[in-house]
Amino acid sequence: MTRELILIGGGINGLVAAAYLAKAGVKVLLLEARDALGGLAGASDPIPGFRCDLGGSDAGWLLPDIAEDLQLGAAGLELVSPQACVCSPQEGGRALTLWADPARTAEEISRFSPEDAHRWPEFVAQIARFAGLLEAVYAVAPPQVPDPDGRDIGTLLRLGMRLRRLGKREMVEFLRVAPMSVAEWLDDWFKSDALKGALGAGGITRIFQGPRGAGTAFVFLHHQVGRPAGAVRGAHYVRGGPGALAEILVNVAKGFGAEIRTTAPVREVVVRDGKAIGVALETGEHLAARQVVSSVDPRRTFGRMLDAGQLDPEFLRAAQNIKCRGAVATVHLALSELPRFSGTTEEALGGTVTIAPSLDYLEHAYDDAKYGSVSRRPHLEVRIPTLLEPSLAPAGKHLVTTQLQYAPYRLRPDGWDDRAREQVADLAIETLTAYAPNVRRNVIGRHVVTPKDLEDGYGLTEGHAYHGELTLDQILFMRPVAGWARYRTPIEGLYLCGAGTHPGGGLAGAAGRNAAREILKERRA
Amino acid sequence: MSTPSTWDVIVIGGGHNGLVTAAYLARAGKRVLVLERRHLVGGAAVTEEIFPGFKFSVFSYVVSLLRPEIIRDLDLPRHGLEILPLESTVTPLDNGDYLAAWGDPDKTRREIARHSLRDAEAMTEFGRLMHHMAQAVKPILGMMPPDPTSLSPRELTGLLRFGRHFRDLGAERFQALYKLMTMSSADYLDEWFETDALKATKSASGIIGTFLGPRSPGTAYVLLHHYMGEIDGSFRAWGFAKGGTGAISESIAGAARRFGAEIRTDAGVSKVIVRRGGASGVVLDNGDELRARVVVSSLDPRRTFLQLVGDDQLPDEFVADIRRFKFRGSSGKVNLALGQLPNFTCLPGLGPHLRGAISISPSVDYLERAYDDAKYGEFSRSPYMDIIIPSMIDPGMAPPGRHVMSVFVQYAPYQVNGGWTDAKREAFGDAVVDTITRYAPNLKQAILHRQVVTPADIERTTGLTEGNIFQGELSLHQLFFLRPAPRWAQYRTPIRRLYQCGAGTHPGGGIMGASGRLAALRILSDGR
Repeated sequence: MTRELILIGGGINGLVAAAYLAKAGVKVLLLEARDALGGLAGASDPIPGFRCDLGGSDAGWLLPDIAEDLQLGAAGLELVSPQACVCSPQEGGRALTLWADPARTAEEISRFSPEDAHRWPEFVAQIARFAGLLEAVYAVAPPQVPDPDGRDIGTLLRLGMRLRRLGKREMVEFLRVAPMSVAEWLDDWFKSDALKGALGAGGITRIFQGPRGAGTAFVFLHHQVGRPAGAVRGAHYVRGGPGALAEILVNVAKGFGAEIRTTAPVREVVVRDGKAIGVALETGEHLAARQVVSSVDPRRTFGRMLDAGQLDPEFLRAAQNIKCRGAVATVHLALSELPRFSGTTEEALGGTVTIAPSLDYLEHAYDDAKYGSVSRRPHLEVRIPTLLEPSLAPAGKHLVTTQLQYAPYRLRPDGWDDRAREQVADLAIETLTAYAPNVRRNVIGRHVVTPKDLEDGYGLTEGHAYHGELTLDQILFMRPVAGWARYRTPIEGLYLCGAGTHPGGGLAGAAGRNAAREILKERRA
Repeated sequence: MSTPSTWDVIVIGGGHNGLVTAAYLARAGKRVLVLERRHLVGGAAVTEEIFPGFKFSVFSYVVSLLRPEIIRDLDLPRHGLEILPLESTVTPLDNGDYLAAWGDPDKTRREIARHSLRDAEAMTEFGRLMHHMAQAVKPILGMMPPDPTSLSPRELTGLLRFGRHFRDLGAERFQALYKLMTMSSADYLDEWFETDALKATKSASGIIGTFLGPRSPGTAYVLLHHYMGEIDGSFRAWGFAKGGTGAISESIAGAARRFGAEIRTDAGVSKVIVRRGGASGVVLDNGDELRARVVVSSLDPRRTFLQLVGDDQLPDEFVADIRRFKFRGSSGKVNLALGQLPNFTCLPGLGPHLRGAISISPSVDYLERAYDDAKYGEFSRSPYMDIIIPSMIDPGMAPPGRHVMSVFVQYAPYQVNGGWTDAKREAFGDAVVDTITRYAPNLKQAILHRQVVTPADIERTTGLTEGNIFQGELSLHQLFFLRPAPRWAQYRTPIRRLYQCGAGTHPGGGIMGASGRLAALRILSDGR
C-alpha cells in the first residue's frame, strides 16, 4: 500500500504540519520515535508526582493565526499570559519586573533609572513595529535571494512595502539594528544594568554567543514575534500544563483524519531514482509513500536518515555545517515550598524569572562556555508552572523548571557524564539560592537534562532545541541550507517542516504551517 | 600671501583620504586648499624619525587595499610610491614549531601539509572561493551606497544596480558572500580547516581594528581583504611602502600639488563656518577665517559634526545618529629600535621569515582570551600581534646594522580601566615585549628604544576619536548605507556644501583612498 504522505516526528511543528495537511484532505501518517507526542513540549514525570516538560511549559510562542486556522480554541486550547513578563532578581535583594502593561513597567523601571523609564514607551513601540515586520516575513516561505522567481517578486514587493510602511527612519533603523549585538543596541537605549541584563537575556536565547555577539539583537526581536504589544519578553502558558498543547494538536490532527503512530522510529528515508518513496523503520518495516516530510532536524535528516550517496556532496557538507551548538541544560527542581525571591511578590513570579543581573554577567557566563566549560555563574531562565497549575505537583509543592545557559554540548575535557550532570543541578540550586535563600533547603527532587540527553533522547543534533542556532547566517533564505529554504530538499518528494527551517524555533508550529502550505501549493500545481 | 581670498574647496585634514579628495578635485580644475593640523601630512599614515636614525610608520604600517584606480589616476609611482612586497606570514607555535604562509603557493601548500594534509587540500579551494568573493566585493568598494529610503529615480536606479550586482553573482556566490558577511571568522574557518594555528592566523585579520573576538559574527568578512590586495594584477597592492607609510601620503600630496592644490601644515581647523544651512568656510585654530565654496572634512564623523560644526547646526536625529556611531579603539602599536635582529626559537637565525610578517596568533582560543581581557576594560595580557621588521625590507628605515620593528597590538581598549596613564602605557609595552620574548628570547636585550602607542595616544596625535584606526568600527551596522549615518552615507551632510571624505564613510578604513575618491566624485557630480 502506498500512502499519500508520511510525516516523520511528532513534535509541535510535525503535529501542526500534519493538522494543516490533513485539514486540506491529504491522507497523513505521522510517525513518532518516542512513546509520547509533543517532542520537547510533551509531558513527562522524571520526578515522581511532578509533571514537567522540557520547554519549561513554553514550546515557543504560538501565533494567533495558527490557533485560528486549526480552531485550537474549540479543541480546548487556552493560553494564559501572566501579567508578569519577566522578573529579574538583583544582588542586594532588589528585583526588576517587566509587566505586560508598559505603564506599570515604566513605573517599576523608574526605581532603577528614571531616564530609562522615560524611554520605555518609545522602546516598546519600536519593538512592536519590528516584531510586526518580522511576523509578516515569517508568515511566508522565504523568497529566493538573490534570484527571485515571479512569485517571489510579489512577496518581496509586499514585504518591501511593509518595510517602507515603518517610515523612512524606522525602516533603516530595522536594517541597522538586526545585525547588531543586543548589548550595543541596549546601550544605545538604556542606562540601568538591571534593565539591560533582563532584556539582553532575550538576545541569547539558545544561542552559543554572548550578548556582545553580532546578530543577538535579531535574536531578541525574533522572540518578540507574536507577543502582544507591550509584553516585552512576555510569557505564556498553555492551560493544562505540560503536554496540553501537543494533546490538543494530536486531537485536531486526528479530527482532520491524520493517522498517528508512536514508538515508530524511522531509520531511513527510502529513495529510488532521486525520489523519496517511503521510509524504513528501525524495526525493518517498510512504509511506502508518495511524499515524505521530516520534522527531524536537518543535520539528522540528511546526515543520518539518508544514504550519503543520494546527496550532492556540496549540499551534504552545507547541511553538516549547520551550527547546532546546544548551550542549555534543563534542571527541574521539586520544591516543598515556593521559592521566595527577595524583593518580589508572588505575582511577579508568574512569568519568567531570569537570572541576568547585567550584560556583563551574561557575557562572563558565555566566556566560560567558549572554552568548553559550564558557566561558573550561569544565566537562568526559570518558570514555576505550579503557580498557575497547582495540580502539576503534590499539594503545596512546587515545580521549578530552570533553563541553565551556558551548558555546552561539547563539554571539556570529558563530555557529559553523571558527575557533570549532578554538578549542573548543584549549580542551578546554588545560583537560585543566591537570590531565593529558601531554595536549597527545600529541594525534594531534581532532574537534569543536558544537551547530550536531548540528542540521545530526542534526536536533536548536539542537543539544540531549535534544530540550528538562529544566527544571521542561518535564518531566512539560509535556513536550513542556502538555496533550500522553501521546505523542499534535493530529494524529490522529501520535505522539511521542523524548527530547522524558516522561521525557526521559539515560534510553535510556524515552520510546520509554512511547510504544509508549500507542500499543498505544490500538490495543487 | 598670493593665495586667493576664496577657495573652491577647502579640505580639512591631510590624511590620505583628504589628500586623495584634494588631488581628484584639483585634477578637475578646482582651486583646492588642504589644511592639516600637524607639521606633516598623512594623518595616521606617516613616517617619523622617533629616535635618531630610526624611522617608523608610527601608526598604520602596511598597505593592502590602496585602490589601483587611484594609483593610476594620480600617477602615484611617479610621485615616489613604491610598494615592497611582504610575502610571508610566520606564526610561531607554543610547541616550538611554526606555521608559515610563503609567497610561493606551492611552498605554502607543502608547509600546511606538514600540519594537516586535509587543510593543504582545502586551501586551494578556499583560495579560489575567496578570490571570487573578493571580486564580488571589490566593485562595492568603489560604489556610492544607495539610499534605501529614497524613492527618487536616481536612488532607485542605484538600488537596482546594487541588486543586479548581487543577482549577477549567482545564487551560490551570493550565499557564500552572505555567510562571510554574517559569520564569525572562527566559525567560517571551522568549515574549512582543522589546524588551530591556521584558523587563528587567518581569523586574526578579521579582528584588526574591531572590538570583536574571532568568534564574534561579523569578523569573517575581513578575511576577504587579504585576497583583495593580491588580485590587483597590474600592481601588487599588499606590502610595505618604501620609506614607510608616510611615503604613500607624500606621494598623494605630491600628486595633489602637481594638480595645483595647496597644502598647509600646522593649520588646525577649529570650526566650520555655517551660514543659513550652508558651509562657507572654516576658522583656523589661530583665528584666521578662510572662505570656500565647498568644505570637505576628512576627519571622523564625531569630530566633524559635533566639534567643527556643532550640534546646534544639525537636525536632532542626525546628531543622535552620530553620537551613537561607535569608535571604541582597540589596538595599539609598539615601535622598537633594535641593536640586533630578533632570533625566533622556531626559526633560528636569519631567514626569509624576517622579511615578512610574524603573527602572534597560536590558536583561536589565544585570540579569544585576548579579547576577553579587553571586553572588561583591560589590555590583553597575551595580545595578538602582527610584527614586521621594515628595516629588513627597506634598509633606509634604520642605521646600518640596526633595525626597526613594528608591532601592531590588539587588544588595547581605549576605555581602559583607570584610564591610560604613563604607568599603564609602560605596563602595556612590557606585556607586548614579554609576549614576543617567549618566541624570540633575545628580544629584550636587543631593544635600544621603545615607543608605545595606546589608543589614547592615537587619538591625541592624529585626532582619531577614541583611537579607532578606521574612523569608526567596521561592524555590519556601520557599513555601506549606514556609514556614518542612515541617509547621509553619500558623502553629503545635512549642511549644504559641506562634504565628508574620511574613512568614517563607505567603504571605510585601511589605506584604501576609496572614501576620498568617491567623495570627490560626489562633489564633482553635484556640480560644486
